[in-house]
Amino acid sequence: MAEYLLWMIAGSIYGVIIGIVPAVGATTGLLAIFSFISYFDSTPYLGVVFCMAAVAGSTTCDTYSSILLGIPGANSAAASIVDGYPLSRQGRAIYALSAAIFTSTLSGVFWGCLVFLFLPYYSQIVLYFGVPELWALTILALVSVSLLVSRHKIRSVLAILLGLFIGSIGTDPVTASSRFTFGWFYLADGVQLVPLVAGLFAVPELIEGIRRKNNLFIPSDSYRNQTRDGLKAVWHNRWLAMRGGAIGAIIGALPGLGGAIADWLSYSHAVAANRGEQFGHGNIKGVIGPEGANNAQKATSMIPTVLFGIPGAPFAAVLMGLFSYLNIEMGSIYLLEDREFFAAMAFGFLAASVLVMFICLFINRYLELLTAIPFKYYSMVVFAIIVWACVQYTGGWEDYAMLAIASVLGMLCKHYRFSRPSLLVAYILSYKVETLSLQTYTLYSATDVIQRPGFLVISAITLFLLYYGVTRNERIDFV
Amino acid sequence: MKESILSKRSSKLPSTLCALAMLAFGASSAQADFTMVIPQKPGGGTSVWAQIVAKELSKKLGESITLRHIAGARDIPGFNEFQNELQFDDDIMMVSHGGNGVSFLQEKVDYDYSNYSSIGMMNLTIVLGKWRDMEKISFAAGSGNVPDGIALALLTCGPDKSVEAYKQCFDEEVLWVNGMSSGERRLAFLRKELTVTRENPAAYKKHVQPLIEEGNVETWFTHGLLDKDSGNHVDDPNFPGLQFEKVFERTWGVAPSGELYDAYKLVKSYRDALQKAIWVRKGNPNTERLRRAMTEMINDPESTKVFHEKVGKYEWIVGDDGDKVVAILKGLTTRNSLTTLIEWNRSVFGLDSVFKESLVN
Repeated sequence: MAEYLLWMIAGSIYGVIIGIVPAVGATTGLLAIFSFISYFDSTPYLGVVFCMAAVAGSTTCDTYSSILLGIPGANSAAASIVDGYPLSRQGRAIYALSAAIFTSTLSGVFWGCLVFLFLPYYSQIVLYFGVPELWALTILALVSVSLLVSRHKIRSVLAILLGLFIGSIGTDPVTASSRFTFGWFYLADGVQLVPLVAGLFAVPELIEGIRRKNNLFIPSDSYRNQTRDGLKAVWHNRWLAMRGGAIGAIIGALPGLGGAIADWLSYSHAVAANRGEQFGHGNIKGVIGPEGANNAQKATSMIPTVLFGIPGAPFAAVLMGLFSYLNIEMGSIYLLEDREFFAAMAFGFLAASVLVMFICLFINRYLELLTAIPFKYYSMVVFAIIVWACVQYTGGWEDYAMLAIASVLGMLCKHYRFSRPSLLVAYILSYKVETLSLQTYTLYSATDVIQRPGFLVISAITLFLLYYGVTRNERIDFV
Repeated sequence: MKESILSKRSSKLPSTLCALAMLAFGASSAQADFTMVIPQKPGGGTSVWAQIVAKELSKKLGESITLRHIAGARDIPGFNEFQNELQFDDDIMMVSHGGNGVSFLQEKVDYDYSNYSSIGMMNLTIVLGKWRDMEKISFAAGSGNVPDGIALALLTCGPDKSVEAYKQCFDEEVLWVNGMSSGERRLAFLRKELTVTRENPAAYKKHVQPLIEEGNVETWFTHGLLDKDSGNHVDDPNFPGLQFEKVFERTWGVAPSGELYDAYKLVKSYRDALQKAIWVRKGNPNTERLRRAMTEMINDPESTKVFHEKVGKYEWIVGDDGDKVVAILKGLTTRNSLTTLIEWNRSVFGLDSVFKESLVN
């Protein structure tokens, strides 16, 4: 137990550090863990505790640079900038931060309890999800991510196709021979997740952070009063926070979504539910809404990830990789019987959520000063960690080349508004789409499939989202 | 799949002090006396087995053994790297598994068992279980499952058929389901989407035995163990009376025979006899020392207890006897059996198998 506690604290501190660094969210933070995950080879559950605590810590703390500097602490904290940064400019940063931290913690603990403490009992659900249902879920994820995250629908679909292609590089599941490797043996095991995620997300955001001019830092006055006001604001807007949490929870549970969309939807909801109020100039409701979604989404993203091995969000995809390294296979029946795994996950996430809140409240005023350090100084450290994680595959020039290729791809996608989440989710699901299609075709006839209620329900949701996505002009544009 | 990420990885890095830990690792690595190369990522079956061996063997050697994982592409690149580069380092041993044996037999790979001396190997078997109320066979495909697939064809379709007749029968009687990982396969078996499953003995005990105790599943057959003296397969004492040949004879009244059966014997021998094996380059000056340590290890009751608990009661084959097994495998590789196997793989299983003239005895 003492070791669990120790690694929960270590993970929380790691998460806090990752969280406060601009543009480095849970996904990038988890990515860096690859460089030392082997430490947990013989004690995998401690690794689970550490990773989950890091997720909780970074998710709560990625608000700092959004509010203080106007730079997204992570993709999923971008919505908090809209009203949080103006509050900071008014000298009310601690007020905004306190409200964000209280909301994040409450939402994280509430949804975390619902997810992690009952997750083992959801395991029977898995037996009702046969191959056709899993196939339908993967299609649902692709439709969701391509049509709801970006307003550039066509480009999202193209990003999906590109992701599917990249995911199909490696070994053919039927013939067991290499395909699309262009004679480069390095690709025989497929394009690796770590350099692809780093190149798509971390590197472009780091470069943008360096290019962005540093904003003038304005310290808050009256730390104690602003903290108290932040707490009061959360209490007054508790239902808004809860609704934001519910939006985040639903989005998180849909495989492949998560990330920024939950926050932007919650922000949109806060705006819509408070017509007549001005947003974008420092309305605390514009902070509480998205922050409610942030941590809830992280918790519920673990449902499809653990039960089906289908990542609920990009961070969950990296988490799957880390757990796989620890010989913990998501979606396996063996895992569902592993109570210690669930306990480690629940403890890591829930205890860290609470601990991080106290850490933040204690060091808010100092963190406020820390984030005033010019980004260019610590961005190099973050970049070095990312490169280190990426070159662990072979350690040869090919690893650097792959990171460079993925980085160019990431920057092009960002510049030309091709949805990077779509590309990543398609890459991750590519193998599943292919193999589940083969398996459905082999095991079931069309008549069998349309008689399965689960398949029909998921297909109906997919069709609804398809209709919704095609006919609605999204205001959200996360690429 | 995508999760198979890190391969040539270092050992341990304390999380809070990465840089210091990396220095520490560098130091500990330099002090290692022997290295075992494992062609898969940590946590895999062979990796866990190698970990146990390294721990027990290092006690007898009085020198440390570190593990080096070179994973990826169905565990072929690690073995290829041993063949092309690492074998020339006298302190490096290669750990291989049955999948490597099957790949050697039917795919383009660089490694070649005839270049190596055996330090020790463990001859295991694969066990197949089925739902009692099974109506049609559905089974997970994969190049490592080729022996299981051919056994299903023989057992389901009966004796005295041409290869063509077996092909037709297999297509009608067996659903060969592609693209399932071991976890997905187990889940699909629980949901009865797959009606037959296969496991190594330890995993069988863990995943299938509970279903057998509930009365819903039964052990169908095992492939048996290759006898290093006779070159024939014998019953696995852990699953008495369930060797494929015996089950076949009980079912059909005659012993299995014919071209497809020869191909089956060939591929199952390459997989199961080489299920877990440790190699060094022929001429490696450390060979005898390693073999002596291995002999001491298997004669040590404490080490034996560890293996029995974690792997099962399987016989070790040490030193020259291991080389003898390789010779038996070579003897089984006739032109006809290899041709039948490759053609069967291509036309029935859809595998991109390659006929290698150099293997023919």
